[in-house]
Amino acid sequence: MADFVQLLVNGLAIGSVYALAAIGFVIVYSATGVVNFAAGQFVMFGTFAGVATLLNAQLPWPFAYSAALLIMALFGALFFCAVYLPLRRGSVVTIIIGTVAISITMQNAALLSFGSWPFRLPSPVEDSAVTLGGAIISTHALGVVGVTAIMVGGLWLLFNRTSVGVGMRAVAQDLQAAKLMGLKVNRLLALSWVLAAVLAGVAGLMLGPMWFADVNMGDPIALKAFAATIIGGFGSLPGAIVGGLFVGLSEVLGASYVSSAYKDLISFGIMIVFLLVRPQGVFGEKIQDRG
Amino acid sequence: MTVLEARNIHKRYGGLAALTDVDLTVAKGQFVAVIGPNGAGKSTLLNVLTGLAMPDEGQVVLGGRAITRMATNRRIRAGLGRTFQHGRVFPRLNVLENVMTGAAIRGDLSEAALREVSMEVIAQMGLAEDANEAIGSLSYGRRRMVELARALACRPQVLLLDEPAAGLNSGEVDQLVDRLTELRARHGLAIVLIEHNMGMVMRLAERIFVLNFGCKIAEGTPAEIQADPAVLSAYLGEGYVHADV
Amino acid sequence: MAIRNALSIAAAILVIGGLLSAVLPEYYLRLLNLSAISAVAVIGLNFAFGYAGLISLGHAAFVGMGAYGLAILTVTSGWSPWLAAPAAIAATAVLAALIGYPLLRLRGHYLALATLGLNVSFYIVTSNWIDLTGGTNGIARIPELTIGTLTVAGEHRFLWLALVVLAIVAALAAILHGSRHGREMMAVRDDEIASEMIGIDTTRVKITAFVLSAVCAAIAGCLFALHVRFVAPEDFTYAHSITYLAMLIVGGESTIVGAILGAILLTFLPEWLRFLGTAYLFFFGLLMLCILVFLPTGLVGLGQRLRRSRKPSSAASVRVPEAKP
Repeated sequence: MADFVQLLVNGLAIGSVYALAAIGFVIVYSATGVVNFAAGQFVMFGTFAGVATLLNAQLPWPFAYSAALLIMALFGALFFCAVYLPLRRGSVVTIIIGTVAISITMQNAALLSFGSWPFRLPSPVEDSAVTLGGAIISTHALGVVGVTAIMVGGLWLLFNRTSVGVGMRAVAQDLQAAKLMGLKVNRLLALSWVLAAVLAGVAGLMLGPMWFADVNMGDPIALKAFAATIIGGFGSLPGAIVGGLFVGLSEVLGASYVSSAYKDLISFGIMIVFLLVRPQGVFGEKIQDRG
Repeated sequence: MTVLEARNIHKRYGGLAALTDVDLTVAKGQFVAVIGPNGAGKSTLLNVLTGLAMPDEGQVVLGGRAITRMATNRRIRAGLGRTFQHGRVFPRLNVLENVMTGAAIRGDLSEAALREVSMEVIAQMGLAEDANEAIGSLSYGRRRMVELARALACRPQVLLLDEPAAGLNSGEVDQLVDRLTELRARHGLAIVLIEHNMGMVMRLAERIFVLNFGCKIAEGTPAEIQADPAVLSAYLGEGYVHADV
Repeated sequence: MAIRNALSIAAAILVIGGLLSAVLPEYYLRLLNLSAISAVAVIGLNFAFGYAGLISLGHAAFVGMGAYGLAILTVTSGWSPWLAAPAAIAATAVLAALIGYPLLRLRGHYLALATLGLNVSFYIVTSNWIDLTGGTNGIARIPELTIGTLTVAGEHRFLWLALVVLAIVAALAAILHGSRHGREMMAVRDDEIASEMIGIDTTRVKITAFVLSAVCAAIAGCLFALHVRFVAPEDFTYAHSITYLAMLIVGGESTIVGAILGAILLTFLPEWLRFLGTAYLFFFGLLMLCILVFLPTGLVGLGQRLRRSRKPSSAASVRVPEAKP
């Protein structure tokens, strides 16, 4: 029982990271229609931004984290200008291949800057643990779940209670109408990318201590984020959260109770089942191709 | 002899009753028109007839066969044909190739025979000099002719035309009317025309069905329809009920 | 018309390939072999995506099925490659039909993600089903192909085999392109509803395109297995699937020539960039992005644009102005 609680918390923690990555992915997809295949590399960049500020620059915790997130925000803006704007008139496939090409570039940029040896990114609550019902649970894992919940709450406030957030939703629902209403559409689109990058940054900073900071970590994360959005419902924020948590739990519980080797097959298998039986996922949009 | 029939069609989209108890009959070789204000349900009826939408209740019968739940491509092979409101031609194929994809419905024709048959239809539609042109280089009116030619190449028994005159200038509309008259004379084709262009409807139709808010409010010859007060008030509002148009 | 195209493509492949084989050093012959193998796979992808519009990110899985099929039958069961290849290709075709039937109801990025999931699942299965596939160690010592007393060994001889296979596949593809089946595929991609409305069974057309693409992929897989003589899960990942798609886009989608040019370019490009050392993939990614932005119609499109700009401007042909609704 104690083991189960431990696994549960770990599953929720990993799931929260996937959920944040998936939320960033969904924000960009909803606002711009782009399926961002570089989503996993964004998370990797977040982790390595942490490596740069914490380990290399040796900044104290609050400054290091803030600086890392600022770097991610700037990167999001750069991505908007250098990748999204040139590609946006292309076909679905062109955008897919384009984001994949940038994903390769990002991965290798990290490789050139940091080398191929993995880093150990520490956590501010390193080595601390909490006992819950006989189970020893790392404080970091609990912290991850907590931070994610706070961020989700913040996003809800942003999208429902601020004019900027409402503007972003308007742009996501009908670009033309938003333009006609005088909304500064490009600024809102850029903001979507910046927000996605910052969310990925938070995910990366939290994931680093649970795994390793490794330049190759991007792709597996992207795959999990995709599975999460399909299961939760493409284009749906609550879907991204539910999907992310589900994928995290199935990975951790699956590895322990079913098979460690085939653990990833479980989430992909379920993803494929959803695609065949209920492609709109749990919460998702009705299936019509975006125009 | 009835070639196409819709019986008691009901179709709802959520809370909206798009079609309520609608009937339609088309006899062999007959020219029928379906008219009504925007939102009356004409396109929904067309979609139900062609299989792009399934009715909640009611049947569609083609040549005596119930086709209510049949897949669209099978209905076409059973003798139905349709054109779309803004002309959906295949942009990557040229005019001849577009028509050949329609002619290919006759499974066993060789490539050369397909070409020949298609050229015949193209010539009948007055498109012969454009046969090898790319679609993008044609005017809107001519593109709609290509779509019509392609639909005709399938040799339908009943052809459903969705606002074929929309976007055409008056010269092109006259051409269209002439073509449709020729086609009927040559092939004995039944036609169901959805149109807003009343001049065209009154010239060509033998029988007119009028829809409003998803219900059939009138059915009859052009003269009867023009005098029908229900039709007039549907188009012109309750205050307008005149004995003559 | 289509037969003439088919024969010209086949002839061009054999002649140009033959000349290159006489001139190029061994290292480049190896690259040419890999290009030819990829070209066969990409011509297949052209059916599924270029013609029928199916975004498949799982193409490498079918290449892998062909390769592993041949490897397992020759190494574990001792079959001759001449029997193993058709068997592997047939098995892949059957699997593609079975997978395609439920999967091809999806469109756009849903189909892309579903095929991606398939490719990843293929990788997981081949890495873990050790009894059948040897797991991550793969299957080694695949026998060479023998034609009578001649062994297809070494880059030179293999190139001839690859060129002949490529020429045949390209010719058949050209014939299909000009036939009613090719037109139907393109019609389905351009407008599925309009296609249904002229009696085309779009489900059948999509499954056929998918199966054809899988057959070409399996042929490429068999060639790969006979060339490298060793198969492992890392050779058939979703990264390879994306590479095949990129080859098609960069070369010029919906064209057979584009498929071949794209395969050659993206096989040689990483080698040409090797002088950049460890930074070469970084620049490769950037270069790919630039090609996509500046050459959306690919190399073939570029060639067409250059040819058109050389033609003297024709006398003004009067075009009826478009009357939009």
